[in-house]
Amino acid sequence: MLAVSHLSKRFGGLRALDDVSLQVNRGEIFGLIGPNGAGKTTLFSALVGLHRTDAGTIRLEDVDLGGLKPHRIAALGLTKTFQNVALFPEMSVLDNVLVGGLLRHGLASARIAARSCLERVGLGPIADKRASDLSFPERARVEVARALATRPKLLLLDEVMAALNAAEKRDMIGLIRALRDDGLTLIVIEHHMGTIMTLCDRIAALSFGRLLAEGSPAEIARHPAVVEAYLGREHAL
Amino acid sequence: MNLRGAAIALGILLVAVLLPLGLDPQGYAIRVFALIFLFAAMAQSWNIVGGLANQMSLGHAAFFGTGAYASTLLLIHAGLSPWLGMGVAAIFGGTAAALLSLPTMRLSGHYFALATLAFGEVMRVIANTWAGLTGGPGGVSVPFGQDSWWMLNFKSTRPHYYLALCALVIVTAVFVAIQRSAFGYRLRAIRENIAAAEVIGVDSARTKILAATISGALIAALGTLYAQLTFFFDPDTVFGLAPISIRVALIAILGGAGVAIGPIIGALVIIPLEEGANFAFASQAAGLSGLIYGLLLITVILIEPRGLVALAGLRKRRRTPS
Amino acid sequence: MLAFLQAALDGLMIGGVYAVISIGLTLVFGVMGIVNFAQAEFLMLGMFVAYFAWAWLGLDPLIAAPAAFVVVGVLGMAVQALLLRRVMRAPPVAQVFLTVGLLIVLQNAALLTFGSSFRSVATPYQASALRLGPLYISVPYLAAFVASVASGFALWAFLRRSWFGRAMRATAQDPMAAQLVGIDAQHMHRLAFGLGVGMTAFGGAVVLPYLTVYPTVGEQFVVLMFTVVVLGGLGSILGAIAGGFSVGLIQSLSGLILPVQLQNLVLFIVFIAVLALRPEGLLGTRR
Repeated sequence: MLAVSHLSKRFGGLRALDDVSLQVNRGEIFGLIGPNGAGKTTLFSALVGLHRTDAGTIRLEDVDLGGLKPHRIAALGLTKTFQNVALFPEMSVLDNVLVGGLLRHGLASARIAARSCLERVGLGPIADKRASDLSFPERARVEVARALATRPKLLLLDEVMAALNAAEKRDMIGLIRALRDDGLTLIVIEHHMGTIMTLCDRIAALSFGRLLAEGSPAEIARHPAVVEAYLGREHAL
Repeated sequence: MNLRGAAIALGILLVAVLLPLGLDPQGYAIRVFALIFLFAAMAQSWNIVGGLANQMSLGHAAFFGTGAYASTLLLIHAGLSPWLGMGVAAIFGGTAAALLSLPTMRLSGHYFALATLAFGEVMRVIANTWAGLTGGPGGVSVPFGQDSWWMLNFKSTRPHYYLALCALVIVTAVFVAIQRSAFGYRLRAIRENIAAAEVIGVDSARTKILAATISGALIAALGTLYAQLTFFFDPDTVFGLAPISIRVALIAILGGAGVAIGPIIGALVIIPLEEGANFAFASQAAGLSGLIYGLLLITVILIEPRGLVALAGLRKRRRTPS
Repeated sequence: MLAFLQAALDGLMIGGVYAVISIGLTLVFGVMGIVNFAQAEFLMLGMFVAYFAWAWLGLDPLIAAPAAFVVVGVLGMAVQALLLRRVMRAPPVAQVFLTVGLLIVLQNAALLTFGSSFRSVATPYQASALRLGPLYISVPYLAAFVASVASGFALWAFLRRSWFGRAMRATAQDPMAAQLVGIDAQHMHRLAFGLGVGMTAFGGAVVLPYLTVYPTVGEQFVVLMFTVVVLGGLGSILGAIAGGFSVGLIQSLSGLILPVQLQNLVLFIVFIAVLALRPEGLLGTRR
């Protein structure tokens, strides 16, 4: 579904992404791991069009996303959530999600769609609260609802479980699986290894902007380069 | 707006409609009211970009002056009715605004203010220099003859009062319609977090251009009304930074940018204040009225930057995120 | 060809002055992040200080220029302490309109105090010119140029060498870090604003010999100053200098082919073009 080929992005002297290539298949839950600064969020930003890349191509279902602006990419079915959560602070929760719905609906239907997306993430009751009044975990879930309102085919989740407690994590894992069962493809960035290993069908590991390895959870866990990146040379076989 | 708010608004509207019956149709008071409504309408058009889109334009005089000149020159040279001239004015103003929004697309805050300010000054200098077209610094006299609705010509000020009032109602209706529409939601989203808005499918460029076009078209049409009311204008007046651009932005901001009632309250306070200050102090010393005006502006900004509407508690309280 | 060289020379001379006038504006933005729409009014005040120094004390404006710097600089610090300090965290709307209000207050206070008449000084060298081969250099222009360059150099030395200067640069680059190492941001802002408007006032004093002063004289310089700093890069001192020379040259050279009013038009268009294509200017950093 998604084919990333030789993607590179520099910020001044820093190579945030260095010749990264990977493939995500339809209906997969694909994990993206790596130490801080590895380039995971940069990759997400490049995929949705927030960053212009210096080299390489991105193809979504055989459509070249090169040079497209984020709203066009969203219309094609690709959107993401933000690591530090980027809600519209002065708007209500419902209105936040509603804006996402405006991509596909008129105002009235967007409102209905927004309510159902909020129900989906279990936040129906707080629809009328102001976004800036929410706790961080609540905000993260609102952002997921908002992304869902755009009816994506491929959804990028950037550390949505960072601030969740164990029960909330379980619910989110359940939600992600349910979304996949409904036909959505997802790429997930998370730091918690246990979550990634159980949740994902395949995983890619980045470090310093480069792809270390791509494969099943078992393969990744054993991969020497990955172990070295996380634990240091002595632990790699 | 709830039922009580609607009732109050209707009541005020009724007062406004009946008021002129008690005033001298050629008098000073009715003229001041006409100006209040006209400037409130102008500030309301500004409010669309300055309030809803949060783009602080200091160059709206560019569109206002374009409108005034467009309709008046057509009237002088082609005998075109100012009603039709108003339509032409709106087209020119809207186009100019759309064109200006292109190079300023990625600017915000101070940079945007500077760019729009420069554009307003560009238009003013062009108008002052292209004397062949505009009559240069000497200005333009609006021809008048018999009283006529078609030619928007009246000896008394009363019809202008009602025209300005209608204009205010119309522009406010446009503002509220935008605020409540999908377009309005998109504008708000862009205002609050443009990257997030883009990622969920909001075309920020097109949205901004549309807002600018509507705002420019409306204020250009109001330029026509102004010309017909004042019978004479020159580039420094209709393209002027202080008399138009700053004043219009000020009225909206002082009253409360982003809310429909802001420009109305702003105009109700500022225009009489300016007129009153001129009246009271002009004879005493040049500069005193301006000084008081400036001090007042500073005071209000320091106390409540969100305008008088917020001061009066009519605005939803905004809590800063902890 | 000769006309071209003469125009270029005049442009450079005047450009040096534009640079000094505009340095203050860019300094204020660089350290405080505020665009001071009232900057040109401080120029006007500097001109008045120099005028009265001449009228009452018989001082040449160039000699009075440092006094203008001090007087207006102190006034600037008071303005910062009383007014600007309170909008540092306010949205840009409040900041812009506060300085606009300041502009209105200063202009009208000047009108009230000094009246609207035009005043000019008479100095012995006002009409004289030096010869440089086939070219003429007007002496008042040259004197203004030299004074400007000297003051610009002094400011540069101050910012580079003195503790205050370095503290200000630190505050401009990273306010949080500067505070963490013990620099009082408020003091830096006060100093920067005072220096900024003082420099502009100095510039006003040195141009007095060949201009006239009246309360609204600032309006002539507003867009000019902004063009200089935007061209050079808001926040960059070197940029203001480069911008000043550029604007002087553009203005002077366009005067060869365009009437006076249209010269300003060229400037405005340059201004908008820079904002559209490269808002950070030639040398500036995006804030």
